[in-house]
Amino acid sequence: MNVRDLLIPFSVSCLFLFILITQPLFGQSDRNGERRLGSSYVITNTTLIPSPGKILQNQHILFEEGIITAVGKDLSIPAAAQEIKGDSLFVYAGFIDMANKTGVVEPTLPEKPEGFDPSKPMPEIAGIHPHFNVTEYYQQSNPHDKAWRKLGFTLAQKLPLGKGMLPGTSALVIYGQEGKNNLIAEHQSIYFKFSTVGGVYPNTNLGVMATWRDLIQNARLYKKHLEMYAANRNISRLEKKPVLEALMPVINGDMPVLLEISDELDIRRALKMKDENEFRLVLTGINEGDKLIPLLKEKKVGAVLTLNLPEDPSSEIPSGEKSEDFETRMDRTKGAYKQSLALAGKYEAAGIPFALTTKHLPRGDFSKNLQLMVENGLSKDGALAALTVNPAKLLGIDDRTGTISEGKMANLLIMTDTLFTKGAAIQMVVSDGYVFDYSEKPEKGSKEEATWEYEAETQGGKSTGTWKINLSDGKWTGTITYEDPQGQGMKTSSIEDAVITEEKMQFSFTVSVGSDKLDVEVSGNLSGKKFTGDMKIIGYGTFPVKAVKKDKPEKSNG
Amino acid sequence: MVRKILVSIIILTLFIGTSQAQEIEKGDVFIQNAHVITITDGIKENTDVWVKNGIIHQIGNQLQVPRDVPVIDASGKFLMPGIIDAHSHVALGAINEASSPITAEVKMEDVIDPFDIGIYRALAGGTTISHAMHGSANAIGGQNITLKHRYGTFNPDELVMEEAPRTIKFALGENPTRVHGRGKNLQPRSRMGVEAVIRNGFEEALQYKESWEAWNKVKDQKNNRQVPPTFNSRLETLLDILDGEIIIHCHSYRADEIYMLIQVCQDYGIDKIVFSHVNEGFKVAPELAKYTMGASVFSDWWAYKFEVYYSTAYNAAILTKNGVITSINSDSAELIRHLYHEAAKTQRYGGLSDEEALALITINPARQLGIDQWVGSIEEGKQADLVLFDKHPLSIYAIPQMTWVDGIKYFDREEDKTDQRLKVDPEETLEPMFLHADHINCMSDVDFYFTGFGRNLFEHNH
Repeated sequence: MNVRDLLIPFSVSCLFLFILITQPLFGQSDRNGERRLGSSYVITNTTLIPSPGKILQNQHILFEEGIITAVGKDLSIPAAAQEIKGDSLFVYAGFIDMANKTGVVEPTLPEKPEGFDPSKPMPEIAGIHPHFNVTEYYQQSNPHDKAWRKLGFTLAQKLPLGKGMLPGTSALVIYGQEGKNNLIAEHQSIYFKFSTVGGVYPNTNLGVMATWRDLIQNARLYKKHLEMYAANRNISRLEKKPVLEALMPVINGDMPVLLEISDELDIRRALKMKDENEFRLVLTGINEGDKLIPLLKEKKVGAVLTLNLPEDPSSEIPSGEKSEDFETRMDRTKGAYKQSLALAGKYEAAGIPFALTTKHLPRGDFSKNLQLMVENGLSKDGALAALTVNPAKLLGIDDRTGTISEGKMANLLIMTDTLFTKGAAIQMVVSDGYVFDYSEKPEKGSKEEATWEYEAETQGGKSTGTWKINLSDGKWTGTITYEDPQGQGMKTSSIEDAVITEEKMQFSFTVSVGSDKLDVEVSGNLSGKKFTGDMKIIGYGTFPVKAVKKDKPEKSNG
Repeated sequence: MVRKILVSIIILTLFIGTSQAQEIEKGDVFIQNAHVITITDGIKENTDVWVKNGIIHQIGNQLQVPRDVPVIDASGKFLMPGIIDAHSHVALGAINEASSPITAEVKMEDVIDPFDIGIYRALAGGTTISHAMHGSANAIGGQNITLKHRYGTFNPDELVMEEAPRTIKFALGENPTRVHGRGKNLQPRSRMGVEAVIRNGFEEALQYKESWEAWNKVKDQKNNRQVPPTFNSRLETLLDILDGEIIIHCHSYRADEIYMLIQVCQDYGIDKIVFSHVNEGFKVAPELAKYTMGASVFSDWWAYKFEVYYSTAYNAAILTKNGVITSINSDSAELIRHLYHEAAKTQRYGGLSDEEALALITINPARQLGIDQWVGSIEEGKQADLVLFDKHPLSIYAIPQMTWVDGIKYFDREEDKTDQRLKVDPEETLEPMFLHADHINCMSDVDFYFTGFGRNLFEHNH
């Protein structure tokens, strides 16, 4: 007797089911196991920091379908809500990154035609393409965004790339579930920078400033022509100019200009541009210019400071003989370094609700540099605000995110201790309601054991058993128990080829039935303490399987 | 009454609050008992100069020393007006927008760098005003800016001499033909092409003016069918030149091209033009005297490329003797530190008088920049840009001791520190080596694309 014989009686009874359901096989609408079990979560009894400076104890946070539905001490918690025990945890609003470019590719520009005249390039060749939309060049599934999410970032303003002065419009994306379209808003601002393509007009800041002036004037004239054309007949046709069209929201005051600067003279140039032709201005990449703080405040300019702080000059003092004034010169350098670190604190003291950008920042320096800002005058609340509520306000989305309250997006950062406390680690990040578990993984060489109870829907009905999975020296091994197909009680096989990530688990095992061997592959998604996926018996079919982890810390979900 | 006072106080504070950013610092000083080289009124011995709120208030012997004003004992020393450099590229973040044969729309005021240590070094050489110019890559370059060396400000706008009229850079000869002709196969490829580019530019500007006049006439009329023209700040600027609002400062060497541009200007009714470098100016000195605002020359710098071989150190003297308003300029962050030496060379080569020689670096460049009513000589009512020398400034042993701009002392040899930088790079740890400094010059920022691909035989700079 072999397995095939055993299965035959059941397949007969299943036959009519096949006839009834001609759609994909029952239980297999989620073949790749990407559907999560539910979208409803509750973080219980946690310490909540709903906005900078506020701290609430013993709070429950309920979120569902990506929205925070309730926050408070006494909530009626729906039965379906999956619990995240928050007793020892601290919940903050997820971080927001401004002027970020990870995952964005540079557009391919048109070839220069034969006999090309670099003094009159088409705008795209000159790096003037404000009509380009970053969403068309953004690769949502990129490793960088995931890595930033692991550091607490849940939402980012994506910048278009380009070598010239007007690369395009920015967009807002959420660092949520892969495979979904995570766009929040597009054409969110016009991105401007003091740079040029090289080899064509404009080639320096001289040409950039002049080009901007002409563009603004001509956008106004374009608008005038457009209005005339709309109101009257017998007006000559308006030649479509995508560049000017893209600037219309700027002259109308509907769209801000996100202007990237690299030093304080750039800030002066930006303010001059604003003085000459009024527009909503947000400066990004601010790294110096203490003296300009009052002016920026007076002119109500949005400010985004760079997290990319300079290297400590005292870390690499050259060896060898020093000239007599080396020390005094070194003191000035150190002073300038300290001044860079203190800049954020000065913005805070001046009452400018600034945000931060990670552009150009090596990921490994994020926490260190934030800490440096705090050690040099920025308050902890100020640092949190610069990563949450301030950017939300600058981006005009503070009614949706940046703080934690009912109705806001479920963008949360769950820490093991308060921010800036030594040893505080990120336990989980919730982005768009999806839970990403970053709880401490055991180190290589140590052991981890987990026992799972599973339930598979096979043709023969429900089949149950356990998986015992161990991590030993970086390698997953284990055993699976199952009901003997020959009705001889429970049997055990060893688990092979196990691959377990934060979001997925798969392994295979072999079932001996008499002299035959059945190869079985299990794969699916991890979601908290839950596994949901398929069990594929090679040669026979695929059956849904669910499992629940039996011991303490949970794995994650996607 | 009280309310009135309150209101006026509020208005006053509002006014102060908004005007603060642009407030230029002005000083008071009493310089006692100097040899005062007035430039326009001879040398006055044992004379006091009283500066009040940045302006030369009174010049005279044995003046009553005012109260609460710093007094400088200048006995035995020489006080002269601050030196003016009519051709400089100090304190600029970019020099050439070399991407088009005409770039009249670009403005050097957009790229002023107040942190340039060159400003302080110029002050240490007695230079208080420099004409910060666009480079010479284009037939018609950008709009220059006249700077007062108020070193110490972080605000680029505070360096600008607000009274100074607009000026623009033109360039003839090898630079524009090499950059655009040979480098990019555009016009101009020859001296004829340079003339054509300039004339075509003016013609285009006139057509542009017509299109705007036509539009302005009908734009508010009912049933107007005409659509608005395109705005073009390049042509707007050329129109301003034609309207006499902008002084041309033209890079030039050869007599033929100088005379060519004089004729172009005559054709278009332009009389505000100064020629710069002008190495062959001595050949067309009467024409320069008759039709232009003068020539700004090097004392003895030539032979760095083919068009600069026919030159003489007597150029400044010949021009002066022919009645050309003549100045000596630096075009260099190094020469700007000793323009008084450059002026002195005209006494060796051409025998100019002290007054004539010093006029080359004071009142004459002031006239060429259109600022002679405010600066360039020591006269009551003029701005107090002054430099005090230990010896006569035309002596090879003379060393500037103090330099004032608007009555504020920006340089004092006694107080000179080893490190006068305004701003320090927070990552700078290396021992700086100052054996070689990059020369910023007429051809800076003309990048690889525009250099004529390695044909720059003489590594020339001007």
